[in-house]
Amino acid sequence: MFGDYAALIVLLPVIAFVLTLFFGNKLPSGGAHLPIAAIAGSFIISLGTFFEIYPNGSVQQSMQWFSTLNFGILIDPLAVVMLMMVSFVSLLIHIYAVGYMAHDPAKPRYFAETSLFTAAMLAVVLSDNILQFFMAWEIVGLCSYLLIGFWYHKPTAAAAAKKAFLVTRVGDVLFLAGIVLLYVNMTNVITNTGFSLEPGNFILQFKSMFAAIPYIAPTQLTIITLLFFGGAVGKSGQFPLHGWLPDAMEGPTTVSALIHAATMVTAGVYLVARTFPMFVEAPNALLVVAYIGGFTAIFAATMGLVMNDIKRVLAYSTVSQLGYMMLALGTAGMVLGAKAVGISMFHLLSHAFFKALLFLCAGSVIHAVGTNDLREMGGLFGKMKITATTMFIAALALAGFGIPGLHIGTAGFFSKDAIIEGAYEYGYVTGDMIPYVFSILAALLTSIYIFRLWFMAFSGKPRQDRHAHESPPVMTVPLMILAVFALFFGFSQTGFYGYLETNFVLMGVEIGVHEGEAFHPSALILWLPIIVGVLGLVISYLIYNRRIVDMSRIVTRRNPLYQLLLNRYYEPGLSSYVIGEKLTHGTAAMTGEFVDRRIIDGFVIDTVISRTLLSLGDVLKKIQTGVVRNYISVMLLGVGLLIILLRIGGT
Amino acid sequence: MALISLMILVPLIGAIIAFLTKTRQQARAVALAASVIPLVISLYLFAYFNSGVTDIQFYESYPWIQTLGISLSFGIDGVSLPLVLLATIIIPLTVIFAWGETEQANKFYGLILLELVGILGVFTSLDFFVFYIFWEVVLIPMYFLISIWGGPRKDYAAIKFFIYTHVASLVMLLAIFALYFNAWQASGVFNFDMLYLLSSYSLIESGMLRDAVFLGLLFGFLVKMPAVPFHTWLPDAHVEAPTAGSVILAALLLKMGGYGLFRVILPTLPFTDSTAILITLMAVIGVLSILYGTFLALAQRDLKKMVAYSSISHMGYVTLGAAALVPLSISGAMFQQFSHGLITGVLFMSCGVIQHSAGTRIIHELGGLAKHMPKLALLMMAGFMASLGLPGMSGFVAEFLVLVNSYFTLPTFVILALFSIVFTAAYHLWAMQRAMFGTYNEKLGHIHDGANYEIFAMGVLVLLVIYFGLNPGSVLNMMTANAEHLDRLLRFAVLRGVIT
Amino acid sequence: MSLYIYLLVAAIIFTIGAYGIMTQKSGIKILMCIELMLNASNINLVAFSSFGGNATGQVFALFSIAIAAAEAGIGFAILVALFRVNGTINLDKINILRW
Repeated sequence: MFGDYAALIVLLPVIAFVLTLFFGNKLPSGGAHLPIAAIAGSFIISLGTFFEIYPNGSVQQSMQWFSTLNFGILIDPLAVVMLMMVSFVSLLIHIYAVGYMAHDPAKPRYFAETSLFTAAMLAVVLSDNILQFFMAWEIVGLCSYLLIGFWYHKPTAAAAAKKAFLVTRVGDVLFLAGIVLLYVNMTNVITNTGFSLEPGNFILQFKSMFAAIPYIAPTQLTIITLLFFGGAVGKSGQFPLHGWLPDAMEGPTTVSALIHAATMVTAGVYLVARTFPMFVEAPNALLVVAYIGGFTAIFAATMGLVMNDIKRVLAYSTVSQLGYMMLALGTAGMVLGAKAVGISMFHLLSHAFFKALLFLCAGSVIHAVGTNDLREMGGLFGKMKITATTMFIAALALAGFGIPGLHIGTAGFFSKDAIIEGAYEYGYVTGDMIPYVFSILAALLTSIYIFRLWFMAFSGKPRQDRHAHESPPVMTVPLMILAVFALFFGFSQTGFYGYLETNFVLMGVEIGVHEGEAFHPSALILWLPIIVGVLGLVISYLIYNRRIVDMSRIVTRRNPLYQLLLNRYYEPGLSSYVIGEKLTHGTAAMTGEFVDRRIIDGFVIDTVISRTLLSLGDVLKKIQTGVVRNYISVMLLGVGLLIILLRIGGT
Repeated sequence: MALISLMILVPLIGAIIAFLTKTRQQARAVALAASVIPLVISLYLFAYFNSGVTDIQFYESYPWIQTLGISLSFGIDGVSLPLVLLATIIIPLTVIFAWGETEQANKFYGLILLELVGILGVFTSLDFFVFYIFWEVVLIPMYFLISIWGGPRKDYAAIKFFIYTHVASLVMLLAIFALYFNAWQASGVFNFDMLYLLSSYSLIESGMLRDAVFLGLLFGFLVKMPAVPFHTWLPDAHVEAPTAGSVILAALLLKMGGYGLFRVILPTLPFTDSTAILITLMAVIGVLSILYGTFLALAQRDLKKMVAYSSISHMGYVTLGAAALVPLSISGAMFQQFSHGLITGVLFMSCGVIQHSAGTRIIHELGGLAKHMPKLALLMMAGFMASLGLPGMSGFVAEFLVLVNSYFTLPTFVILALFSIVFTAAYHLWAMQRAMFGTYNEKLGHIHDGANYEIFAMGVLVLLVIYFGLNPGSVLNMMTANAEHLDRLLRFAVLRGVIT
Repeated sequence: MSLYIYLLVAAIIFTIGAYGIMTQKSGIKILMCIELMLNASNINLVAFSSFGGNATGQVFALFSIAIAAAEAGIGFAILVALFRVNGTINLDKINILRW
């Protein structure tokens, strides 16, 4: 019965959005309860649907929109786990926000927008066709724009919001181009080959797409999947479109948590997972996915090392972890087939829990000390025990702590190690070890930067005497719930993989699963991720707690490497100044303006056409002598000529 | 029932009454009444329109100058009805938006009603001569709207507008006469009936003359749209025009050009001598308009001018979709006309409210307006998002249909057009950031939000944009039959071997 | 008598009138020449009418004479007015309608 009401998963938060936006200021606590109730409703329906369709059912509803397009709902294993995660994490963040945003005057707007944000993300997840997916995807982009620019009176926030929208828009255009190309290919396939849609199916539905894969030319398929991946790169902040994510920290911390954990950035990974059968048939595209993902994982982690803004560190951490998910889809996809979706999605979910936790903890800290700057924090452990503890749990999960032999560990341990193992297996099979090296190095850096953050914030002596205090229960309870998930979610690993593997079979797609054919990685490979994790913890402990190295000597203006990292590889300057201002605005737009004003208006119209007509007039006006006799002479001449002509022509 | 002539007559009578009224209260009441009645009629037409067929419906014809074969004949089909609906939606809302007009109010409202007369005439008349008369009728009230209620350079802008569009319509008139006399030569009967003349186009013997006539007609419509490089009148006209004038200009006058493309250009295109070249020409102009309009919008400092250039860019999709000659791309282009009419109304109204409250539209002189104008900020944001093609709003459906379906025949041009999407978003967001967000520019002093009637007019448009974005079928279905009909003509051309 | 004689006379008078218009400067002379041309056409009208056995041409000749009288009246009135303003009726001097 829950499945029949699946549309409500999206509609409830949409209704809450409208009501809160227009009537929120008349409701208690800025209308916060409305979105919370709506999202709780979404969560309950998602959960109910899960129990209904488990272990191998799905919900499919579809209706014609117009022409050959449709609106529809597809809840398969892949979608339902996402639905539960999105609605659950979003629910916790909303509850937390009641405390965090308590003093903001624009609460109705905040809660309305986050409600729409969640609705859009849920709509992305349960779309049954790629166009609806794209539409919801764009609404997600809009909401991120609105929320990053929530404090629009801050110029930096307004600029960051714009950047987020524009950079993701670059990806969206690629995505749209992919859809265009797909539609054209599908139509050609239907008209030119024996392939036909099943009755009741629509052209852009996922199941139609997957059914048509064998008929589409491989090069076309590679281009389409690469274009889709372009969209994912934009949304998931992969290199080179990663720059908007750290800037997006201008929004309230709860918004960052939403963007980084539950909504938005995971949509990119979800897109690749959703269209995975197409990627599997386009190995070149998978290779690109693997390399972009792997490179992003390590590239973002290096910048995470030096950031001083607590939220920026976490932002780069997200970029890096999303890189892991892409890496998993790319590498494991090539050697393990459909299991890659399970591996990647599992990390997506566990990341959602501990990243939401990290952000909410950071929010709690910021709420308490009133600054984002790590250098001004320190020694908060005593004052904020719950926050510090939960954040330490989250850090352990992010760094992937656990014991390989006993299958005991945090959520991140299970999910991340699977990715690293997948990368190793890919290297083992193909001989290409680069993705594996990327992932191991990134794991080391991850551990260093996250414990650096924790030690700088919570240990040592307070570097500033602010009156910090623990947050109210409305904020700490969600932290504790998330901490439970960050600790124990990993134990669902086997069941999760098994459940997701049925996913594409349900859609009638066969993806060869090479279930670890006699592949048993050596103990070193199994232990290496945890070793680098511990190594990172130790390094951070020694540097930031014991202070065996004087960081102020390394961290100077003269150190070019530090400067490079601190300036984020000069990406902001490059994208907004060089590309945005100089190239686009300065060159292209101003050239156009020049052409318009000077060439078309100035030269063609004013000079050529006007002047010609005027000088022609100057010549012709001489005929008008003003002497009546001339006129009469000409007139008689004309009549005479006319008569002669008529005589000639008339005969 | 002479519904269409009634729809044209009511605003005409209303205009005369409005001119004669003494107070502005009377004038605006007359204007509202005389523009709402056509809306009711067009909604009736909308409800009883049979969208499955391509025939002209609600046809009515009265003899006028019989010796020359001119008759007052009106009718609608899937090409014209959505535009009739658009015109009758926009004009009452414009009257409501301009509810506070004080300067020579009776003339102002009278001219707006005259605009409605002309536009409805253009969209419904089926006699080429009458069509041309209405085409010119549209021009004159707009000239006065700009030159009386305009900004500082109103005379320049009004003259420029007039000369550009008038030259274009004269060229078009020549082409119409060529069609007329050719049909007369072929049959010995004088007849100005539009569909008859169009079907006789193929009887012109000389291939060069056929192309010349086609280009004459095309020129007439492209200038009106306006397409690059005949577009420079538009930004000037918009900058100087009063808000109501801008709304009518962008939402309705430009659509006359697009209407001409579907009504006149596409049926004649298969019979031209060099069809393939002409299709490429149209596609080039379409894509050039899209890209060029986008970049120019990016360069503007004046909010209204930026919106004007965005109109050029969006109308490029109409040309592109028409040139692609795929049924759904043609319907998409028609839908783009309809959708852009609604969206651009919101944008120009936003500019009007800002101009009115802040006293300037120069983007960098504004800043942080959202703080004091929350309602405007919401509506303007909705309008901007619709304009940059956000899904869920009507602009997305139109542009998606055009892009997807044009790819079948014009892949290169579609790829070029895709580039504009990011930059389209860029200038909208840039303007939003500078004008509405950031710190409030204290130099603006105390400003107030839009008046209730202004917010109402914009709100209705935004709701319509969302409605047609979610339910495009209600309008799109009407267009599809006609678009397929046009496409059949073109497939006939393929059979003749003129295009591939 | 043949029709051609009438036509020849009319043609001669018309040519004289036309020559006068082209060469004369005085407004009065030009008006007189116009009268000559009008009367030449009247002769034609009457002659055709008489030889064609149809009275319509003569009726039109009468009309034409009446209108010529009116035209002369207005013409002279304008010349008088011009003379009062400009002090001359030399039409070469009165060229303010020039560019």
